[in-house]
Amino acid sequence: MNGNVFSKLIVYLFLILGVLVFITPFIYMVMTTFINGAYSLPKPQEVFTAVPNLENYEIVWNKNSFFRYFLNSLLVAGVATIGSVFLGALTAYAFVRFTFPGKELLFRIFLFTMMIPLVLAIVPQFTVIKNLGLVNTYWGLWLLYIGGGVVGSTFFLRGFFETVPKELEESILMDGGGNWTIFRRIYLPLSKPALGTMAIFSFSGTWDEYFVALTIIKDEAMRTLPIALMMFQGKYASNWSWIFAASLIAILPVIIIYIIFQKKFVQSGHSEGAVKG
Amino acid sequence: MNAWKKLMTGAAISTMLFAGGCSGGSSETGSESSGDKVVLDYWHTYSDQEEVILNEKIKPLFEKEHPDIELKLTRMPYEGLKQQVIAGVSGGEAPDLMRMDIVWVSEFAKMGALQEVSGMDRFEDVKNSVFEAPMATNIYDGKYYGVPVNTNTKIAIYNKDLLEKAGFNKAPKTMDELKDAAKKAVDAGAKGGIGIGGSNAWGFLPYFWSLGGKMTNDDYTKFDGFLNSEESIAAVEEIANWQKDGLLSPTILGGEPGAWDGMKEDQYLMLDDGPWFYSILGNEEGSKFKPEEETVSGLIPEGPGGSRSVIGGENLVTFAGSEHPEEAWTFAKWMLTEEPQKLMAEAGLIPTNKNAANDPSVIENPIVEKYVKQLETALPRTPIAEWSEIEAVINLNFEKVMRGEMKPKEAMDDAAKKADAILQQ
Amino acid sequence: MDPNLNHNDSDVILSTKKPFSERFKKGAKQWLDVSPFLLIGLAGASIFVIYPLIKGIVMSFQDYNIIPGAESPFVGLENYKKAFSDPAFAYAVRNTFLNTVVTVPINWFLGLFFAVLINIQFVKYKITFRTLYYLPIITSWIVVAFLFRYLFADGEDGLINFLLVNLGLVDEPISWLQNQWTAMIVIWLFHIWKTVGWTVVIYLAALQGIPKNLYEAAAIDGASGIKAFRFVTIPMLRPITAFVIINLIMGAFNFFPQVYFITNGGPMGQTEVLQSMIYKQAFSNFNFGYSSALGVMMGLTIFLITLTQQKKLSNQKFM
Repeated sequence: MNGNVFSKLIVYLFLILGVLVFITPFIYMVMTTFINGAYSLPKPQEVFTAVPNLENYEIVWNKNSFFRYFLNSLLVAGVATIGSVFLGALTAYAFVRFTFPGKELLFRIFLFTMMIPLVLAIVPQFTVIKNLGLVNTYWGLWLLYIGGGVVGSTFFLRGFFETVPKELEESILMDGGGNWTIFRRIYLPLSKPALGTMAIFSFSGTWDEYFVALTIIKDEAMRTLPIALMMFQGKYASNWSWIFAASLIAILPVIIIYIIFQKKFVQSGHSEGAVKG
Repeated sequence: MNAWKKLMTGAAISTMLFAGGCSGGSSETGSESSGDKVVLDYWHTYSDQEEVILNEKIKPLFEKEHPDIELKLTRMPYEGLKQQVIAGVSGGEAPDLMRMDIVWVSEFAKMGALQEVSGMDRFEDVKNSVFEAPMATNIYDGKYYGVPVNTNTKIAIYNKDLLEKAGFNKAPKTMDELKDAAKKAVDAGAKGGIGIGGSNAWGFLPYFWSLGGKMTNDDYTKFDGFLNSEESIAAVEEIANWQKDGLLSPTILGGEPGAWDGMKEDQYLMLDDGPWFYSILGNEEGSKFKPEEETVSGLIPEGPGGSRSVIGGENLVTFAGSEHPEEAWTFAKWMLTEEPQKLMAEAGLIPTNKNAANDPSVIENPIVEKYVKQLETALPRTPIAEWSEIEAVINLNFEKVMRGEMKPKEAMDDAAKKADAILQQ
Repeated sequence: MDPNLNHNDSDVILSTKKPFSERFKKGAKQWLDVSPFLLIGLAGASIFVIYPLIKGIVMSFQDYNIIPGAESPFVGLENYKKAFSDPAFAYAVRNTFLNTVVTVPINWFLGLFFAVLINIQFVKYKITFRTLYYLPIITSWIVVAFLFRYLFADGEDGLINFLLVNLGLVDEPISWLQNQWTAMIVIWLFHIWKTVGWTVVIYLAALQGIPKNLYEAAAIDGASGIKAFRFVTIPMLRPITAFVIINLIMGAFNFFPQVYFITNGGPMGQTEVLQSMIYKQAFSNFNFGYSSALGVMMGLTIFLITLTQQKKLSNQKFM
């Protein structure tokens, strides 16, 4: 029994060590935002002794009509996430459950597109959006995010869909259900953890996206938060407290979304298929 | 389960809409007319204070004088700006007008993205009303592709305490004096004497030129024999010796503290900067640092090459795809006249219009006066389309010299050869 | 059972030697069945991913001009040849290779290690641990880049130097970004710190997908603890490992914010990677054709390196 306690201790030690490594920079960042008037690199002593206050957050919030950009970003990332998850699930389902000529080739092409860095992809993409008359609309942005992201989400979800046991389909087939029913009743509910993870990837990806948003959206009032943040960083590059306050404001929604999604879908600890300690 | 259903229904709806996406919600942008007015799309990167003047003074004034034109102002962030312009140009969605960095003009002109303005109405008058050096940054292949809307350069700024400790009661006049002051300041414990901002052209050119160095021949077609002339090598050698003797601030290689941080903390004797520093530092709420009391400024110290600073600033260009080149020119031409130039000077932007720059109300600010004086001898970075690529080559070799990885002569010979090869491509 | 069910053997149609018309008819029927699920995704991918890809490949053989309607002459393999005489390319290739060799194994090991630890039955607060490990992933690159530049700042005022000096590990502060190898270390730490949470989460999801009865069966055979891990967990994770490895390799090749925001290639271009070079050639030097050629070469390299892993993906059988 003693050995057991000892090994538990070791496990927790490692886990907490990991947490420390991941969390310390964030804590240091948060503490930096409590320094007032940090126009040069703050000294660690100053950071450690800073008294928590929200003054910098207030300054930053009021300086940049962040709220408006915040709502814009929420709309853009929200719809893009729902669209991406849905389309990704649909396409992955097509790859997993069906056989059709050219499937393997198509999948390899999908993979290849993920490997080639297309920094210039924006040129043809923008031309398409323009020809659809969708420049300066969120539709254009959504189209690009969802259509451009489908390859990655398919690749991701396909692996998880493969784990869905085929035997489960039989009851649906016996009840006269078709492919749609199987998709809805079996694949989606059984892949909730994967879909939840996918949603988080997708949300944080579009929430952060800067360049495409700036290219498609021309109207200043329609811009998203990362653009506002970037302008802010350009202006106050040496005021670390403000930059980190602005950054934290921008990260917060993603963290909240993450926590919500994880409670809803990624039910860790329930399906304990674990190694025994 | 319920929430999940709702979510998926939402997803289904949005995907259906997405599939038929073209039908809904499209609104045209660009420079179509609204009513009888021509709308000019104008991208800029003005700062907060400058933008206020642009929105509240420049725009109303221009639209009052030209009731048939409306300005649509869009402020762009710096990060990735070139990409934005490229995407816009390639998609035929570039704005009509843009205020862009002077070194970009020839690059975009070479690409064919810009409208030539040499033949426009009263071009010669406009050209003669502005300073020659900023105007020259609009030339590509012998033709003009823009007009300079504001200019700037860098002057030398010293920490008053450290300067006095070094035995100077005013800004050093010559490079020898500067070196002397730097030596004494460093001996007295300063972390840096001469503050070159970085191993890049904007950083080192004032020293390189003032010490007698040259980039190219007079028509910017050849680096070999100029960038690696005896004088140029001697200039680089001198800067390398400063570095060896510990006279340069760590900023030359990107070290900490940053130039202004070191100045504020009495660690650096000197740095160089453009006119914006004044309004930026003045606007730092709660900062204890008072630039006007704690610093002394002067022209870039004179060397064998004179007192040569580097010209910065922005030009106003029209894109080739613009549907309203005439109206765009009307604005560009107007923007260079005295009144709007003086308005922008309120925010510390130095006019390119000669009359505006010498107007008593503008040079009454002693800082602005020094910049205007420095501009008389300042030089532009080589105005060629290949500048970005060539600059990268020169910067790299200069950095190698500063790090002691290359001898000055070897570095300049190599850079000149590579630069000429890029030019000939 | 439905004859169209996929048995993970997609080439079955080609291997059965039936007359062409019959095969065609069958293929057409299969496409008809799959189309409601596949077509929208395929359309999106074709327009926004595959079409730009083809365009990019064509561009790599051209002296490309982005002005609409302007001529872009074909130059054959010129853009590809140029790379091999470009000293920046040598650095970029070397560093991309190093980034892959260094970060992929570390990332993979740490990801699996922490996922397994979190998944151990007696560990409480699983969700909390995962959330904390995942925090860097959902933080934007630019913010993390700022954070790392701040932590690794030169002199005594950077937190890392402050800690190292005060703990007596080094005598004087390190100029992290001033030297090639210390700068590379910062870049690697940045990358690993930012992305290891992803590996943890993927492996956690996969671990939780392993049916309990396999462990019970193993226990009956006398395998538990380490043995069960070796004979049940590891084989069950194999397909997801292929997925993880491919993604990690792609991630290591796609170092961009890591370099662009931290060192911008310096000192002296020694930390430049392929991705930052591709970006600079396109958007700083306007060499669009050259930039595309670099991209194509990089894509092909990743494709070839991951070929064995891809085969594992295609043949994956979980159950």
